[in-house]
Amino acid sequence: MKKFLFLIIFMVFAFGAKKEAIIIVDGMTCPLCTTAVKSSLKHTPGVISAKVILHNKTATVIYDDTKTNPKKLLKAIEIVGYKGKIKEIKDVK
Amino acid sequence: MKRRDFLKASAAIGALSAVPSMSFANEDEVRKFRVQYFFNIKYPEKEYPARLWNPMPYNADYQHVRVLNFNGNYNKYDLNNNNEYSANTFYAEWDKSDMPKIALMEMVIETKYRSVPIEKIEWASKQNLPYPKEVKKYLLPTAHIPTTGIIKELADKIVGNTKDRFERVKKIYYWCTAHTYRDKKVIGCGKGDVKKMVKPGNVEDIYKHGYFGGKCTDLSSLFTALVRAAGIPAREVFGIRLGKSHFDKALGKSDKHGFANITTWQHCRAEYYIPGAGWIPTDPADITKLELVEGLKYDDPKVQTLVKKYLHSWEMNWMAFNHARDFVLYPRPVQYPLNMFGYPYAEVNDDVLNYYVPKSFEYKITSQELF
Repeated sequence: MKKFLFLIIFMVFAFGAKKEAIIIVDGMTCPLCTTAVKSSLKHTPGVISAKVILHNKTATVIYDDTKTNPKKLLKAIEIVGYKGKIKEIKDVK
Repeated sequence: MKRRDFLKASAAIGALSAVPSMSFANEDEVRKFRVQYFFNIKYPEKEYPARLWNPMPYNADYQHVRVLNFNGNYNKYDLNNNNEYSANTFYAEWDKSDMPKIALMEMVIETKYRSVPIEKIEWASKQNLPYPKEVKKYLLPTAHIPTTGIIKELADKIVGNTKDRFERVKKIYYWCTAHTYRDKKVIGCGKGDVKKMVKPGNVEDIYKHGYFGGKCTDLSSLFTALVRAAGIPAREVFGIRLGKSHFDKALGKSDKHGFANITTWQHCRAEYYIPGAGWIPTDPADITKLELVEGLKYDDPKVQTLVKKYLHSWEMNWMAFNHARDFVLYPRPVQYPLNMFGYPYAEVNDDVLNYYVPKSFEYKITSQELF
């Protein structure tokens, strides 16, 4: 029983907190801008993956909700010189 | 290894690149360079795919590709100009694998000093002929070249009541070369983002005291934006230095055998259009390079000699690739539009390889002048 409870708690921490943020990134004007934004996001603790696309100015970030939050993601974008705006956040199963 | 016969390739690229030129060279200096490219596309994973787009020179009366030969272990390749600006492109694609991703290219290019006589430009400008349809696009703004707002105000301030087109260009050129400096902190040639360079403000202050730093793409883009805003077609021309300058080592050098590692020698120039005289070469950015490298002031006689020369000329220890801005390469990359195509461009999936860091990319370009 104890093992089972531990597993449930582990599952909540390991998987239950995964979220996807879609962020509109303003100011990206060249392909290398996406590299800077992506690198900054990926170096943010709690970010599992990040994909940044120039032509629709969108960053799609999968992150652990127990380790980071949208505010920190926007900060990561801001420190490399761009401005982010959260478009959508959803749970990832 | 795939191998292409160089004559076929050379003929193909020649056919792709019939760029009209109405300039009249006033010096007969013909130079010949063997240029070699080596690509070994790197990525921090064991297995990965890769795509490479490399800018290629066009043919004109001041530069001509005589030999082109390329090979590598790519799975697909293409030589095309299938984009909005007809920018010649060598494209290679590698499937996902743990193999090194290699492409090699060699070309021999002949260049000739390019200059349009001042008298010719002055005469043509006085005719005030209409612009041909194909150059009108170079009056329009792009994402990085604004022609309204503070840029329009500044252009109007600089040209004042001057109506003659060439006189307007001259005023802008002299203003740009006097009010800009080469900022060595800028990476590569710069982004050429005029909106970021000239922020809205008091136009009188900017006109009198503005002093803008950047590298060649930035400074050529500023010139281009102002000239377009003054109602005259203009464009940046992206290319690479090939070897020694006869004017000053700041503008290109090589060893005693004529060899140079030109991997990081990309250089952006500009052109403006006067009907009856055609596209006229200019290079406002190299004025600032001469000043910085040689520690000279703007009013130094050597700087002033170059200012006069580069209003309407190019020394051709350089080859031109294209004049494309804010456009989409072919085949279409994941990331687009591309703000300029003076460097090799490569992607691994949606990741853009940093073309400003050739050692991590990885690429190397060398030039040997053939005497």
